[in-house]
Amino acid sequence: MAVMHREIYQVRDRFKRSTIVPVAMATVLSLFATGAAGQTSTYKAPRSADGKPNLNGIWQALNEASWDVEGHAAAPGIVTALGAAAAVPPGMGVVEGGPIPYQPAAAAKKKENFEKRLTLDPEIKCYLPGVPRATYMPFPFQIIQTQKYIMMVHTFARAVRTIYMDDHKEAPADSWMGWSNGHWEGETLVVDTTGFNDQTWFDRAGNFHSDALHVVERFTATGPDHLLYEATIEDPKVFTRPWKMSMPIYRRVDKSAQIMDFRCVEFVEDLIYGHLRKQPGK
Amino acid sequence: MNHRFLVSASGLIVLIAGMLLPTMPAAGQATSAAAKTNGTPAKPYTQPRTPDGQPDLQGFWTNTTYTPLERPKDVNKEFFTQEEALELIKKAAEVEGEQTEPGTILDVHYDFTQFGLDRSQGGFSLNLRTSMIVDPPGGRIPPMTAAGQKRAAERAEARKRMGAATDAVQNQSLSVRCILMDRDGPPMLAGAYNNNYQFVQIPGYVMILVEMLHDVRIIPLDGRPQMPQNVRQMMGSSRGRWEGNTLVIETTNFTDKTAFQGASENMRLTERFTRVAEDTMRYQFTVDDPATWAKPWTAETPWKKSIGPLFEHACHEGNYGLYNTLAGARAEEKRAAEGANKPSK
Amino acid sequence: MRTTRAVVVGIGLLLAAAPVLAHHAFSAEFDVTKPMKLQGTLTKWEMINPHSWFHIDVKGPDGQVVSWLIEGGSPNQLIRLGVTKNTLAVGAELLIEGYLAKDGTNKGVGRNFTFTDGRRLFLGGSAPPGK
Repeated sequence: MAVMHREIYQVRDRFKRSTIVPVAMATVLSLFATGAAGQTSTYKAPRSADGKPNLNGIWQALNEASWDVEGHAAAPGIVTALGAAAAVPPGMGVVEGGPIPYQPAAAAKKKENFEKRLTLDPEIKCYLPGVPRATYMPFPFQIIQTQKYIMMVHTFARAVRTIYMDDHKEAPADSWMGWSNGHWEGETLVVDTTGFNDQTWFDRAGNFHSDALHVVERFTATGPDHLLYEATIEDPKVFTRPWKMSMPIYRRVDKSAQIMDFRCVEFVEDLIYGHLRKQPGK
Repeated sequence: MNHRFLVSASGLIVLIAGMLLPTMPAAGQATSAAAKTNGTPAKPYTQPRTPDGQPDLQGFWTNTTYTPLERPKDVNKEFFTQEEALELIKKAAEVEGEQTEPGTILDVHYDFTQFGLDRSQGGFSLNLRTSMIVDPPGGRIPPMTAAGQKRAAERAEARKRMGAATDAVQNQSLSVRCILMDRDGPPMLAGAYNNNYQFVQIPGYVMILVEMLHDVRIIPLDGRPQMPQNVRQMMGSSRGRWEGNTLVIETTNFTDKTAFQGASENMRLTERFTRVAEDTMRYQFTVDDPATWAKPWTAETPWKKSIGPLFEHACHEGNYGLYNTLAGARAEEKRAAEGANKPSK
Repeated sequence: MRTTRAVVVGIGLLLAAAPVLAHHAFSAEFDVTKPMKLQGTLTKWEMINPHSWFHIDVKGPDGQVVSWLIEGGSPNQLIRLGVTKNTLAVGAELLIEGYLAKDGTNKGVGRNFTFTDGRRLFLGGSAPPGK
């Protein structure tokens, strides 16, 4: 696979851009106005037994993308009884280069999703969160990395992804977490995922996709306890062009860090099946 | 091994090459002696090792079995002969593959065989034992203590008060609700089908992916303490260590919702995994629960190397059947209340 | 599985090792007194768990097309044997025998899935007796 050419925007002053210089690089350089790690990294992670960057560990995103991947002000929650405890916290957003490029009909659907999020958000029903939402939900996830398989185990609903590092196959069928084929590009783990169903969202704000979703993620260690995470989203049925989000991910360094059970099915059964309960006297 | 299906022009599904078959060792083969002594081979098996030196248990495994947990009442020995075992399995496999009688309850189901879900279709390790339980030597769960019996009676009472299984979702089993399956346990026991696991090992951890529910056990090996006493999980809190070539997993911190064979939430479970051959792993577990049984009891069963992938088992997400069951019960009641002709079942 | 009691001693006990929970749930979902037989065109095979679903378009005598949902088995073992979403073609004509859902909708469980040439779907093996 060819090394991706990356364009570097050198902002000489804030009123005009300098010449765009396309450069082919093995390390990641990100200088963007919003989100992202925003720092040059030539860090080389310690190696695993098979000579690859060792990304094993328990990691967690620290941002507000879970509520809304786009920049947003604080807002009231959808359950008034929970008051400020369920309010939407403000976030600068993790999407690069402007708003998410929806096609017109899809933009209307997004608006409808947002308005009806209380009934439509799959997270509320404890459904598998999909990709990349699982990565930036505000809970730890564990990367378990071997030569053939890299597993990502998430706290929410114990969502798990298998990343096939060799023997790349096409998705045999659609799934919630997709089918992931991975490979290394220097310091970066590149994960190419297809085979999604159309059931997941990107956040609680109703940002969504179709079953044509194609996600390419890049995980790059930028320090002993930091990863740069980038996800390029492509969906010709929903967006006018591919778009990208990026964020740092932090290692959980507390000694007791572990992925605990978040078996949420029990918490949502009355929500889903409550109306089918036998009423007394019937 | 290549397992491929082709759809020919007429739409026929044709199996091209091989199908995962159960191990049926020929009489006199070395593994049959191994099976008799529960999988320990006549000559020592050289363990492959992971890069960090752990015995390598990695790959896909199945614990499908024809061996019951407890010894049947009319069987008085610890082992069948190989001929006896093979005959019993052959007959059971034939029965599995047969068609059910139309109009019977058992016929109200898709055909397992059609979807490859019979035990005989997915591979299994031959076990000559007449029960999984090896201690007590009688092969049966020991009698319960008075406290255990009292708890069992209370649970049965509570269960009765909840009403019929179709009255409410919470009256259905944890497996039907897609909350926990017997394949998860722990202990991890085979169910009707898809009894598949994937082991992945890295320095400091063993990860077990359970196909059903797509559940994951991550077992730390660094000697850290169990979770705090007040933190209870359905699969408990597990900590692992190596004893020679055996992976030992200790699990505590259960809830009272799983009640394995009537156990209390203070059950302590010890599991032992030993790869005894290239394609065989001995799985042994000991249940220690003085509140329920006066002495610990132990069972073991051989697992067989299998193939992947473990496709996502998004059980809760796809659980239309549970919804339909409850909706159907309510619809039947409505029809009965409206004086429908047909008697409701 | 034969339901007669005349099984060889030991077999029934070995069979006890495979829990039949699924059967209980199914007879609560579908009506054993309402067998059904339909022929239709596959529009989609939802390869999901815990049970897969076949979407079938059935053309009635009046020419109206009615959509049916028929429950089938988990696809996971078939996937291990090489079956993919491309194996069973959209448009395939299927004969399905089974039982109707108790909730009165156009749903059923597929006891036997057969192609029009008589061969059974996937690993169906020999046709049921009397067919």
